Amino acid sequence: MKRRSLYLSFTFADIRMILDLHTHSVKSDDGRAKVENYCKWIQKKELPLDGFVLTEHRQFDDQSDYRPLEDAYGLTIMKASEVETDYGHVLVFGVNDDLLNAFDFTNVRLPIEMVLEESSKAGAFAAPCHPGRKRVGLFAHYEEKGPIQGVHTVETLNGGSIPGEDELSSNMAETLGYRGFGGSDSHVVSRIGYCATNFPNQRIDDIGQLVGALKAGDFSAISMKEQISS
Amino acid sequence: MTEGLKFSEVEIGDDLPEEVPDVSLSSVTAFCKAASHIFDRFLDHEAAQKEGFPGAIVPGIMSQGLLAAMIHKWAPGSSIRSIDTVFRGSLLVDSQITMTGAVTDTDDESNLVELDLAIIAEDGRTGVIGTAVVQLLE
Repeated sequence: MKRRSLYLSFTFADIRMILDLHTHSVKSDDGRAKVENYCKWIQKKELPLDGFVLTEHRQFDDQSDYRPLEDAYGLTIMKASEVETDYGHVLVFGVNDDLLNAFDFTNVRLPIEMVLEESSKAGAFAAPCHPGRKRVGLFAHYEEKGPIQGVHTVETLNGGSIPGEDELSSNMAETLGYRGFGGSDSHVVSRIGYCATNFPNQRIDDIGQLVGALKAGDFSAISMKEQISS
Repeated sequence: MTEGLKFSEVEIGDDLPEEVPDVSLSSVTAFCKAASHIFDRFLDHEAAQKEGFPGAIVPGIMSQGLLAAMIHKWAPGSSIRSIDTVFRGSLLVDSQITMTGAVTDTDDESNLVELDLAIIAEDGRTGVIGTAVVQLLE
């Protein structure tokens, strides 16, 4: 059964499904969050999250089984990947065997157009994250090399952004006609939910449904950083 | 009997009081001398700039020490069993940095708590993240 916080159900009365689409656990080399501790934190803080996606760096974790935690805490826990390209970092949702065979997830200079194309062919969904960030963000590379084809969605709200980065992301996304989603990019427990994505009037229980919802495009990025950190 | 924060007084979600430590050039220089950790990038803004930094930077071992001091200030009498830090970006000497912490797990059999730790740079970047396992008083 999905849990809903009272105080935030008041704040976001019409929200149906809120997911943090960008988190890291101890499976990532720079991650220090245990997945169960994320769940405990969400429950204790009564965060209005219905679930989260583990986007481990340069890998896809096909071993861990989080279903017992989903049942225990009433959360949807999904797995994806954050890969590194010549245009910055990209989240890939719906990783499957076809995609794992299409390119080397550990390569830190993957051609972004190949990642976007192969993801599409494999039925997955690829979207650049923290695009407003220097060096590892899409739009920094646009400044140097110009825009590329195949991008339709970017992470416009990222919990790790410094002032100005998300504003740049949102403005550029609007100018270029890209849709925007949100994720905390949490590497430690207490930052989960800083940013997330609202899927109104939808139910998402697994990664296939998430990919479908992302492709359908009925979602928006939300920030809860001020509420959580205060 | 030692006075301090007891395990029973702590729960998941508790925040440690924020700290703004002194990372002035004189303070960092004093630390480096005490730790025999003498490198120009910590002690001299111009030398650090020649190495590609915006200015002199706070040594990682000092950051970790400052986080440990924050923990002990929050929980006098506690024992830090482990502290693990990830350095994500430079913290500049003579800037204002802010340290935060939060309780993310508790184990009532051992009186151990797990903490999230972070140091935020003046421009809002997270310079250091980490975790610690701390034994509190019964």
